[in-house]
Amino acid sequence: MSMLPNQTLRRVTLVLMCLATPLAVAAQPSGELRVAVGIDPDTLDPLTNALPIGNAIDLLVLNGLYRLGPTNNIVPDLATEHFYSADGMVLTVKLVTGRHFSNGDPLNAEAVAASFNRLLDPATGSIFAGLYASLGKAVAVGEDTVEFHLSEPNGHALMLLANSAAMIVNVGAAQAMGAEYGRRPVGSGPYIVEDYIGGERISLVPNPSYDGPTPATLTRITFIVVPEDGSRMALLETGDVDIAERVPPEAIPAIQALDHADVRFLPSMFSINMELVLRGALTDARVRQALNISVDRDGIAKGVLGDLGTPSVGMVGPGTQDDLRRTFEPLPYDPARARALLAEAGYGPGQLSLTMTCPTGRYIKDVQVCQALQGLWQSIGINVQANIVDRGTWSGVVNTLPDARLDNMGMVGRATAGMDYTLYRLFYTGVGANRTGFSNARVDDLLRLGRATTDPGQQKEIYGEVQQIIWDEQPFVFLWYQKQAMGVGDAVKGFEVRPDETMLFQNVTVER
Amino acid sequence: MFVVRRLAAAVPALLVVSVLVFWFVDMIPGDPAVILAGPTATDQEIAAIRDFLGLNEPLGTRYILFLRGLFEPELATSFRTGRPVALEIAERLPTTLAIAVGGLLVGLVVGALSGVACALRQGTLTDTAITVLTLAGISMPIYWLGLLCIWLFAVNLGWLPAAGASTPAHFVLPILVVATRPAATFSRLVTANLLEVMGKDYLDTARSKGVSELRVILVHALRNSLIAAVSVAGVQFGAMLGGSVITETVFGVPGLGRLLVQAVGSSDYPIIQYCILMFAVFFIVINLATDLLTQWLDPRTRQPATR
Repeated sequence: MSMLPNQTLRRVTLVLMCLATPLAVAAQPSGELRVAVGIDPDTLDPLTNALPIGNAIDLLVLNGLYRLGPTNNIVPDLATEHFYSADGMVLTVKLVTGRHFSNGDPLNAEAVAASFNRLLDPATGSIFAGLYASLGKAVAVGEDTVEFHLSEPNGHALMLLANSAAMIVNVGAAQAMGAEYGRRPVGSGPYIVEDYIGGERISLVPNPSYDGPTPATLTRITFIVVPEDGSRMALLETGDVDIAERVPPEAIPAIQALDHADVRFLPSMFSINMELVLRGALTDARVRQALNISVDRDGIAKGVLGDLGTPSVGMVGPGTQDDLRRTFEPLPYDPARARALLAEAGYGPGQLSLTMTCPTGRYIKDVQVCQALQGLWQSIGINVQANIVDRGTWSGVVNTLPDARLDNMGMVGRATAGMDYTLYRLFYTGVGANRTGFSNARVDDLLRLGRATTDPGQQKEIYGEVQQIIWDEQPFVFLWYQKQAMGVGDAVKGFEVRPDETMLFQNVTVER
Repeated sequence: MFVVRRLAAAVPALLVVSVLVFWFVDMIPGDPAVILAGPTATDQEIAAIRDFLGLNEPLGTRYILFLRGLFEPELATSFRTGRPVALEIAERLPTTLAIAVGGLLVGLVVGALSGVACALRQGTLTDTAITVLTLAGISMPIYWLGLLCIWLFAVNLGWLPAAGASTPAHFVLPILVVATRPAATFSRLVTANLLEVMGKDYLDTARSKGVSELRVILVHALRNSLIAAVSVAGVQFGAMLGGSVITETVFGVPGLGRLLVQAVGSSDYPIIQYCILMFAVFFIVINLATDLLTQWLDPRTRQPATR
């Protein structure tokens, strides 16, 4: 009798093993995925990559302490827990042990600290050294603990750790490989780079030594670089690719008519605005309001953007950090009131002249929107000159300090995950990307407070008030949130795209 | 001696080109550090990146470094990728050359054959059809023709891939598209030249010796027509290198044209400067090759210019 439980246990184990076998087989990578992208990432090194396509590949090849999930939510990756010191100046992160890079090197606290210190050192050419400066210095404590000795209190440090720039690179391999590391980064993710042919394709295959919880689901992922919209869509139409990013408005009906693919519309946190240079007439709130209420946002979204835009209801786009985001009543389209406001401010028809700078091909239908805005503002009596320029010139103009700007406004899209990151750099007096010259003592106080606090309730209150002030003050002409249109084959399952336009392939399978 | 003289004359020309290229590219609007750092970068970040890229050095110092990069390739690196420019160019050059050379050869063969057909079938339907096609070929924008070919041969007929460069089949459409203009030009040129020489005495002499009509046309008449075609081929080849910017973008081909477009978009000065300098070298070499070929085809041009 005493043998019975053991026999039963063995039988149960046998049955479970039999059941588990097909599951194990199913977990093996199967199927190839081909993705047509519009731009070459140029580099996969998180130190210098700033493109969503680079992020998408890095998420497959590298690990982070944290990462951003499908809604830009923070999810643990290598980290198991974190806590702040009493004075808020040391952030301690515990991480899993026993993991390795694809070249066999151990992925321990020392490797993590080295990766962060490389990111924080401007001498390495890191384009994020400034953004991450508040992390101070990373120190390894034993095998499984990393301490960040912060340079200032930062209640948003986890958001920094979750961004793709903070993914863990093998510093030894990066030093040995030099710039080639950007082509074949050595990471600890479920895939490795098989091939990188600049300007043509990048292919990934499963990492044979992967020892983490989310193994590869596909035998190969190939990214084919096709900048021309028509050619990229042709690849989807012929079935040569399974996914084509950035379906242009004019191609949407053709893709929707295919029997093997469809268009998926996904939210994007890209908040596109006309950022005003606050001097001269634009220091008058009535003029700014007149500019804002004379924009027919619905008409632009439907007529110009082909529904690939959602009229703005706040400066911060969806997915930036939804738990701290606030939205407001849509601004009315009221040209008569706009004319009255201009008259009140002392500007009769034709008495106010403004110049705006617009990029070509940076955002969906940017040129056409600028032309529409020019027409709308001219209809309320403002002389508007639209300077439509190439990307290099545009970038130079909109990054010029407000005092040195020759124009009055520039079209810029903002898409940075994290409320502190987005608002502090745009609206704190005299810093960063604040190219409007916006200055508000209350906003400055709130932004300082919001950065220092780790309490989510307080953060919500603080950033809610900041967003309200910005919506009321209108340093921008608020326009639209970009909408992503992705052409996706019916065979593709589990495909997701983050609001920062990073494609997620971790759970993708192909069922042909 | 002729080759040595021409090559020696090319050195100062290239030096002047290098100065102009370096200077003009440096004046392109848009700070590379600003573009690299992105629209949300702080002044401090941009300053650090400028320093890292060496953009704070005086223009003269950077020019000397640019020249040194010609002899020490590891010194010249892309702002965007950090990889040596020589490596970036070496990876892309074969693709561009394959399409340009392939396009030129197809253009020459098709142009010569259709030109001969036109000359021999003057006033017939064949002549009219070829004339219409050649006019269309000369006037059709490459960009539009490329998209049209993708729509027809890839999307509708499914014969060829739409974009990419991973198999030989991927090169067929780009080569055909870039061959259109040279084919049309050669066709008009060969027709005109053939019509001009068809009644000449030396062809009658050949015929009276019993040489077949086909040999008279292909060997005696066409050879003279080719002299002018060679000069045009040199110009066409140069234009095709410049046109690679469009063709490679439409067909998603990773050649020098695409590299240059990307570099201009991100103000990647080293890539732009060395690419343009290399195009200048190509033009000089092509001109030299054209002159040598013309001399071989036409012995009269081997005479010294002065007596």
